[in-house]
Amino acid sequence: MSQAWAVTPRSPRCRSNRVRQLRKVADRLIGLSAAIGSTGLIFAVIVILIDVVGRALGSPLYGGQDITMMTMIVLVFAPMALCDRLGGHIAVDLFEPYFPAAMNDVIDIIAALLGATIFAALAWATWDSAILSQMLNLSTNLLYLPKAWFQWAMIAFLMLAALALMLRAVELALSGRDIRKEPHP
Amino acid sequence: MTATAAGVYGIVALFVLLILRIPVAFAMFFVGFIGIWVLNGLNAATSLLASEAFTLGSSPELVVIPLFILMGNIASATGMSRRLYDAAYAVIGSVKGGLASATVIGCGGFAALSGSSVASALTMGKVALGEMDRYNYDPRLSTGVVAAGGTLGILIPPSTGFVIYAILTEQSIGRLFLAGVFPGLLLLSLFVLAVTVLCYIRPEFGPPGPKTSLREKIAALSRAGPIVAIIVLTIGGIYGGLFSPVEAAAVGAGAVILIGLVTRTLAFGTLWEASKDSVVTTATVMLILIAAHLINPFLALSQIPSAVGEIVEAMNLSATSVLLLILLIYIVLGCFLEGFAMLVLTLPIFFPIILDLGIDPIWFGVLVVLSLEMGLISPPVGLNVFIVKSVAPHVSLGQIFSGVILFWVMMLVALLIIVAFPQIALFLPDTMIN
Repeated sequence: MSQAWAVTPRSPRCRSNRVRQLRKVADRLIGLSAAIGSTGLIFAVIVILIDVVGRALGSPLYGGQDITMMTMIVLVFAPMALCDRLGGHIAVDLFEPYFPAAMNDVIDIIAALLGATIFAALAWATWDSAILSQMLNLSTNLLYLPKAWFQWAMIAFLMLAALALMLRAVELALSGRDIRKEPHP
Repeated sequence: MTATAAGVYGIVALFVLLILRIPVAFAMFFVGFIGIWVLNGLNAATSLLASEAFTLGSSPELVVIPLFILMGNIASATGMSRRLYDAAYAVIGSVKGGLASATVIGCGGFAALSGSSVASALTMGKVALGEMDRYNYDPRLSTGVVAAGGTLGILIPPSTGFVIYAILTEQSIGRLFLAGVFPGLLLLSLFVLAVTVLCYIRPEFGPPGPKTSLREKIAALSRAGPIVAIIVLTIGGIYGGLFSPVEAAAVGAGAVILIGLVTRTLAFGTLWEASKDSVVTTATVMLILIAAHLINPFLALSQIPSAVGEIVEAMNLSATSVLLLILLIYIVLGCFLEGFAMLVLTLPIFFPIILDLGIDPIWFGVLVVLSLEMGLISPPVGLNVFIVKSVAPHVSLGQIFSGVILFWVMMLVALLIIVAFPQIALFLPDTMIN
């Protein structure tokens, strides 16, 4: 019976292996996404510094604000998945010790599912908006950077965050593993 | 169901979700979205969701948040807090309670580089607690002073508290930063005064540290010179109209990176980690801000703020009484709610009342941020107390909480002084160029 379990694709062991593999992939994607965000931040510092120095010398960076605005999209949304992975979302945990352990577990799963739904809803709403931006050729004021490009990027980051939260909920439900308590590789 | 009833249900649901440990941003998104859906339809809720996320996420003014966080993280990683502390230590460390006073001054200096109270308490705790232990400082004083000194981070500019207040109330970030300077210095002075008086009455609380020669004093001060120069450049730049807050933040971040690289205290790996930490913190803050822009229209649609305004009007209180009442609510709420979440949840209700009463919004911002600071060391959830506990595991939470009482009282005194003399907060922004 147990051997049959080991080879059946739907067996708990097989499922847990798949979840572990998914976690590895997810952690890599989360790391990549956060690295894009970190690069965005350093890039923003450089752009604004060039603009300030350029202005002092009489020639500010043309379209500096356009670049900063679009870089903000990257540096704000790219690290969303890592933020959840590290348990970075603020919660009021004053009553946690007074709740039964089982209730705390259920709350963790519900919170992760709610977060996944919110990120997916944000991505869905932004999708509609991106299609509209593409149709109307909306762009930034000076450099004409297409707004839709950055909305697609934002959707990708939001979907990654949604999937990461979904995976966290699955891990919590299947094995009780809370990935936020483990360091990000 | 009336709009006001929907608003009341929404607020109750929000608090239930918060009590159940649902992250603040998620709870606000959920209640705000459902609330707007109920009151204005699904299309309105969806459009707002898409537009607010992109608009706030691409707001050029908000880049000030990650930039100042980055500046603080790098200042911490490169040991700038240590140099600030060493300078203060060299000058006043040899008097009674001198090490505790040096900690407060170091915290104040670090607060001018970092917008976060937690970062201030953590870095200064690592630097100063061991030193105070070495000179047999009473653990209540040593931990209390670090926890309280750390709170200066959200009052002395740059402050994330002010940025969030500015975004939520559409006030000028630059004016708020300048408004925080004198209140921050006032509070810092009150902390130093409290330490000095305590150590003269009870000398065993803070014995004098070692005497330093004039040469050592000059050396320590000169090592802190570049840091002081960055503080003067960023805050002075905003005051003088040389930079916008965003530019000041970029100049400050660029300067700490440059100093770190030149003095070889900043490796590229550390810069990368600091940058990663900064964007993660930014994600936390921005998600709550986006959620706030969903729940605020819901509260406005439900007419809760105007209903509360009518109740306050019916009470026939003076503007000062209402202000004191609101501050009291903030102080009480600060005992239970995280300061940032409290700001986001309460401002949509209180701010219209403040405007109706003709109270200066910049002055109110300073008072609110000072009240939030008190929450950072108030039991049972004083965040800074737990931060200090993580750095000083041998000291009990009870001892740390008893150590912060004196400083909490000083904060209350500062709050009342600023209520009585609004010019302490308003002088700099009112005289600001541009």
